[in-house]
Amino acid sequence: MSKEDNERFIITVKSTNKDLLAFTKLVSNRKKRFEQASSDPIKSDPINDLAQKLHPDQQNLVISEIKEETKSTKTFKLVPDSDSTTKSLAYFRAGQYLSLKVNVNGVIITRPYSISSSPKDALNGFYDITIKKAEDGFLTEYVWDNWKVGTKIIGSEPSGNFFYDNLRDLKSVVGIGGGSGITPFRSIAKQIAEGKLDINLTVIYGCSEEDDIIFYEELKELEKQYPDKIKLVIVLSCEKITLEGCEQGFITADIIKKYADINNSSFFICGPQIMYNFVDKEIEQLSLSRKRIRKEVYGEVKDISNFPDFPKDMVGKTFKIKVGIGNLLKEIPAVSTETVTVAMERAKLAPPSSCRSGECGICRALLVSGNVYISPINDGRRAADKKFNFFYPCSSYPITDLEIIVPRSI
Amino acid sequence: MSEDITEQKFSDSYDTVVIGAGNGGLAAAANLAKNGVKVLLVEQHNLPGGFATSFVRGRFEFETSLHQLDSYGQEPKGGIRRMFEDKFNIDAEFISIPEAYRLIIDDPEEKLDVTVPFGIDNFINTIEKVAPGSKDGLEKFFKIAEEIKGAFGYFAKSQGKPDQGVLIKDFTNFLKTAAYSVDEVEDALNIPEKARLILNAYWAYMGVPTSRLNFSIFALLMLSYMSNGGYIPKKRSHEFTTALDVKIREFGGKIQYNTRVEKIIVEGSKVVGIETSNGDKIKTNHIISNASPTLVYNKLIYPKSEVPEIAYKEVNARVHGLTAFVVYLGLDVSKEELGLNEYSYFLLDSKSTEEIYESWSKLQAPGVQATVCLNHADPDCSPPGTCILFITTLFRPEVWENVKPEEYFEVKNKIAEDLIISCEKSLGINIREHIEEIEVATPQTFARYTKTYNGVIYGYEPESWDSITTRFMNMADEKHIKGLEFAGGFGRRVHGYSSSLDSGYTAAQFTLSELFKKGEMK
Repeated sequence: MSKEDNERFIITVKSTNKDLLAFTKLVSNRKKRFEQASSDPIKSDPINDLAQKLHPDQQNLVISEIKEETKSTKTFKLVPDSDSTTKSLAYFRAGQYLSLKVNVNGVIITRPYSISSSPKDALNGFYDITIKKAEDGFLTEYVWDNWKVGTKIIGSEPSGNFFYDNLRDLKSVVGIGGGSGITPFRSIAKQIAEGKLDINLTVIYGCSEEDDIIFYEELKELEKQYPDKIKLVIVLSCEKITLEGCEQGFITADIIKKYADINNSSFFICGPQIMYNFVDKEIEQLSLSRKRIRKEVYGEVKDISNFPDFPKDMVGKTFKIKVGIGNLLKEIPAVSTETVTVAMERAKLAPPSSCRSGECGICRALLVSGNVYISPINDGRRAADKKFNFFYPCSSYPITDLEIIVPRSI
Repeated sequence: MSEDITEQKFSDSYDTVVIGAGNGGLAAAANLAKNGVKVLLVEQHNLPGGFATSFVRGRFEFETSLHQLDSYGQEPKGGIRRMFEDKFNIDAEFISIPEAYRLIIDDPEEKLDVTVPFGIDNFINTIEKVAPGSKDGLEKFFKIAEEIKGAFGYFAKSQGKPDQGVLIKDFTNFLKTAAYSVDEVEDALNIPEKARLILNAYWAYMGVPTSRLNFSIFALLMLSYMSNGGYIPKKRSHEFTTALDVKIREFGGKIQYNTRVEKIIVEGSKVVGIETSNGDKIKTNHIISNASPTLVYNKLIYPKSEVPEIAYKEVNARVHGLTAFVVYLGLDVSKEELGLNEYSYFLLDSKSTEEIYESWSKLQAPGVQATVCLNHADPDCSPPGTCILFITTLFRPEVWENVKPEEYFEVKNKIAEDLIISCEKSLGINIREHIEEIEVATPQTFARYTKTYNGVIYGYEPESWDSITTRFMNMADEKHIKGLEFAGGFGRRVHGYSSSLDSGYTAAQFTLSELFKKGEMK
């Protein structure tokens, strides 16, 4: 070290006196600023207000109209419940779902349903939810028997990632739907017709019989009005077909190739589990890059015990789950082939849940002890959650006795 | 309401309730629980972390907000590493970032493209090469920074009652710069303009133009980054925040998510309890709030008559900081194929920090972005043949006030698109063709998940009158409610991950000494 380096450097910003004086005045300047400020409370928080409008904690809805779409399908028109704090409905992106909270004979459960009306309809005060009977026996039996005009229903904020994004997706969109999986495409088609979504949509819609086709006339009418924008292809698996211009069989790679510009389209797929099982293999033959295929989550897996790695010796077994929820500690029974969420719902614990597909993460809970089987196709957990044994009860099945800590519903 | 739901409510009492499981709240709760305090941590969201978390889209898990954690150096151990490893022993893996940042300025008057390393000497030498004649000033900059750091160490040791003589003798450079802005001190140090552009690149992390930004806090930040390097958790921020959650439980603390505090009950200027959205009525005499003074005084304290007039004045006098806008990209191309060789990019279209700040006041793509390629530090953060890129910029919250819900998606995608285009242009890469997953977070997104006032992600702006020095010196006078401490980005340490963690730990120390003093704890 040179001699210079050893000499301590002392800075002078303005002058030594001014610099030190500025320091001594720091606190009094601060106090002066406080004294001079307004003492009015802050009453507005516009950014949180916008957040609440887009993502309300819940929406209190009431059925204003019921329309029979097919022999097994009904559309429920939901409007804000005027007795509640819900005054308007949250806007959304066509393709998103609402998770409905329903009290079925004392058991509070949730089910996600795609919104079948357009985002603009939400601004005009309603959502359409279209439900097919018997897809989920427990809830739909109840709905068919009990839901009437005037029935109150609690809905979540619009949720899910199944929507067109102009920065990610190609302008030509092929929608592949099966059964009630047509519902998000009706919303998308309506938004196109309203001039609010600039894409070309080809919907390839698989049904078992003519009578099962939902929104047939409506979508045909849209196709007629917007021939360059909207196209509907019906694929029927039944033997006898009277409708013109339908394809017979299932949605195969050949049918997709016949109607879609494979190389210049994004593919959106929505349907029941059985359709994915088939269509996935057909799509694979098209050798599309991953970014061009988007699949809607489809709720709880039916027949989880059919998964090859599900421990077969556990089928039919019942376990005990010690649930810590809020201040309550309760032991409940649970069947290995039903999700932990279902077990908690049956025990009337009203746990949080929304997508029921292991995606949204709202049911996230801590597994203190025991083992669960996690549906391999519904495992959207974060890496650290896996590391620290946090899990999603909506897509996890007990295969030992468990001890878990669950947050309460908000 | 069913009986079981009624039974889920809390009605017992706690030594301390911590409101909010952000960085500050987590550190506070961990420190209290470790010391045997009966603590309840309540968080309105269903995850720990606040802004320090992650989310999954398709096959990607995105980091929400952390670019680089400072104070996590190995040799000597940084303050946050000491906290995590030595005090709490949490199970979280951190990896170091290869280089500090690449700065690209595309101003009509100044074109600059320079990549700077960590390490004070390397940093200075790199700048000296680009801007000859800057070495002396830069060395002095860091010497002053060391003295500022020493001064705060002394403040802590003297428990807020420093000896004036010691301050004047040992910490002269701290005293003489404490009241000034970055520009004022750098002018006095004769650091050439070009060197200052490189040196000041982190100013955006503070969110105040260098003409107003307090020198002390900026110098501390630079010293910490350059001497410690930058670190990220292996499994995104969700790893260390969840590791803290696990530790808090292990230490005997209790955590309740999905639980929103609606009232802080105050009687005779003393905290006596809280009430939550879930109907809990909890008795406590001590609260550490990770929620800001703005929210606590304007919204939470009950009855309102317990809020002193001066508390409203303090909040109103201070300038609420910025909110953020982030574009998260999961790309179906590797970083090598894309041509990215750095972790952190500051891309600016103006050399003036005031002009950039101005650009945060318009509803359009601002003139700066801080873009991170996660795979450059952590090659395994996404599947082979893919990479994660996230583009961050800032906004004054007011800009977003009048956006209607039906315009919202269009507005955010337009700004995101312009940011992507500008990133592609600056770095000469093609992003657009490779977007497999995209998510765009706006000010309302940050508000939605954390309920922070107006979506503000930075606390109060650290101008000299409201920076770390004055916040500490005036600490006692700004305590209005007995038993109430603050932690987090709106706290005394100013915002940022390490500051928030540190403020939480310190708040717990204050609460602990109160508890022991009163004999509530032994």
